[in-house]
Amino acid sequence: MSSQKSYSLPAFMSSDSAFPWLFPLITMLIVFAIVPFFYNIYLSFHEFVPAKRALLFVGWDNWIRLFTDGVFWGSLKVSLFYTFVCLAIQLVLGMGIALLIDSDDPGFGVIRSVLTLTLVIPPAIAGMIFLIMEDANYGLIPWALKAVGLIGAEDTILSDPSLAIWGVMIVDIWQWTPFMVLILVAGLRSLPSEPFESAVIDGAKPLQVFRRLTLPMLHKVIAVAVLIRGIDLWRMVDYVFVLTSGGPGTATYTLSLYSWQRFTFVQWGYGATISLFSLIVILIVGNAFIHFAKVKW
Amino acid sequence: MNKIFKQVIGWFIAAVFFFPIYFWITVSIKKDKDIFALPPKLFNFDVSFSAYEEVFGLSRFLYVEDMGAVRPGGGDFYMMPFLVDSIIIALGSTGLAMLISILAAYSLSRIPIKGQQHFMGWILSTRMMPPVAVAIPMFFIYKNIGLMDTHLGIIIIHALMNLPLAVLLMKSFFDDIPKDIDEAALLDGASRFFVFWRLIVPLAIGGIAATAVLCFIFSWTEFIFVLMLTQTGLKTIPVVSTSFVTSTGTAWDNMAALGTAAIIPAFIFILLVQRHLVRGLTLGSVKQ
Repeated sequence: MSSQKSYSLPAFMSSDSAFPWLFPLITMLIVFAIVPFFYNIYLSFHEFVPAKRALLFVGWDNWIRLFTDGVFWGSLKVSLFYTFVCLAIQLVLGMGIALLIDSDDPGFGVIRSVLTLTLVIPPAIAGMIFLIMEDANYGLIPWALKAVGLIGAEDTILSDPSLAIWGVMIVDIWQWTPFMVLILVAGLRSLPSEPFESAVIDGAKPLQVFRRLTLPMLHKVIAVAVLIRGIDLWRMVDYVFVLTSGGPGTATYTLSLYSWQRFTFVQWGYGATISLFSLIVILIVGNAFIHFAKVKW
Repeated sequence: MNKIFKQVIGWFIAAVFFFPIYFWITVSIKKDKDIFALPPKLFNFDVSFSAYEEVFGLSRFLYVEDMGAVRPGGGDFYMMPFLVDSIIIALGSTGLAMLISILAAYSLSRIPIKGQQHFMGWILSTRMMPPVAVAIPMFFIYKNIGLMDTHLGIIIIHALMNLPLAVLLMKSFFDDIPKDIDEAALLDGASRFFVFWRLIVPLAIGGIAATAVLCFIFSWTEFIFVLMLTQTGLKTIPVVSTSFVTSTGTAWDNMAALGTAAIIPAFIFILLVQRHLVRGLTLGSVKQ
């Protein structure tokens, strides 16, 4: 008995222990998530010096530069504006559409399938679709807006400093409102029907039912949808890259795009610093949201 | 009356969301003069499939005399190699992510570990990392270990990107399978791995398919990692699409043809797993 045991695997290697199951995942996350994270910290204290053609230690220079850089503050503002405004519009619009198409009647299944369609489009290609639709000379959208008099005959969308960000946001709203709709419809469909029936019998108005019953019961689903969408909005770079490349000037730089752009200008340390800032913000805000909204996996 | 009204509004909303896609498809089969027509020609245009022929290389065999014609960007729109790159990367990264995540998710579902909540929180935090913040350090690491500009490098990074989704989603599917099945088999003397491979995986096959489809689609549509971690060796469809915009003009019809062709397989896949779509989009936390 004892001789047999000495040839068997150590206990932590057997399939009864969690270790061998989790080993590939942990290895992958350490090598490709933890190492890059610390490498990013290392980079944020270094900068490529063209005269010496080398990455040299610069102390806190990158971080000091970060907080005194007007373009950085501008891109932070754009990222915040983009994230919160898109999130609000997508949530409200998504909830409205979800309430409307939450039905067993024939036809609504097809409508939901059609809404699925936008989710599989590569965001870069979605940007292209709107690039031609928002083209200053031949675009459908400026043409329609001019026809109804919302913008002047000489106005453009993507090269106007104050309108350009809306030109980018419209793509996000178009592509990801269906994401909200599908999740919220699934949430609505899973609600029990009795509380709603008794509320109607008690003479509650639709708005009251929505505020007192639907919203509280959907709390978890809404929180999850807001969390995932919020993360992706904050990380977004494809649309601005394709539609405006941050222009006109620096009007539509988001943190990610600015970081990428510094990187391509061989300011590797500074680019890493910006991306690290963006990473730290989302880690703190995301985990705080999970904690306070009591989202559980 | 109320029902009909709802149907009408519902179809109107579907039409609004479908319109840009319809417009994009028409661009791919329009001739140049119709693409730029205002008011836009939505139905009354001449149909031409030359963009598809160029993108898929049919014109190489059909119209040899056109080869010298100058098109925006210098004119080579043969996209098959990039389509192949995209397929290799999407399949490879899906396979890798699924292999790692199924093992880990089974364990997280069945074998309790100390600090499980923190471990799950860590996995979820990985989902929050902005791609740029990963891609910049990866650029240097890949340069040093020789994975820069290779299929394997992109496969690994896409698998990493999909791991949080795959692990959390697969865990939710495994959680749906009663633990009694495992316990009964274990009592009969079966090993954990046997239980996993012969009993649980077959039961979870629908969930595995749904997870794999989502991993495939997210790899298929990913942009910034491929942009930053490749140079000339390979390109995927989203990245190569942006190369149609050049200083001498934009080949809209070719770009639209490629874009349309890239959307169709993804849409078919997602319809196949529509039952699990919402659960997938919410990383397993909202069940339909």
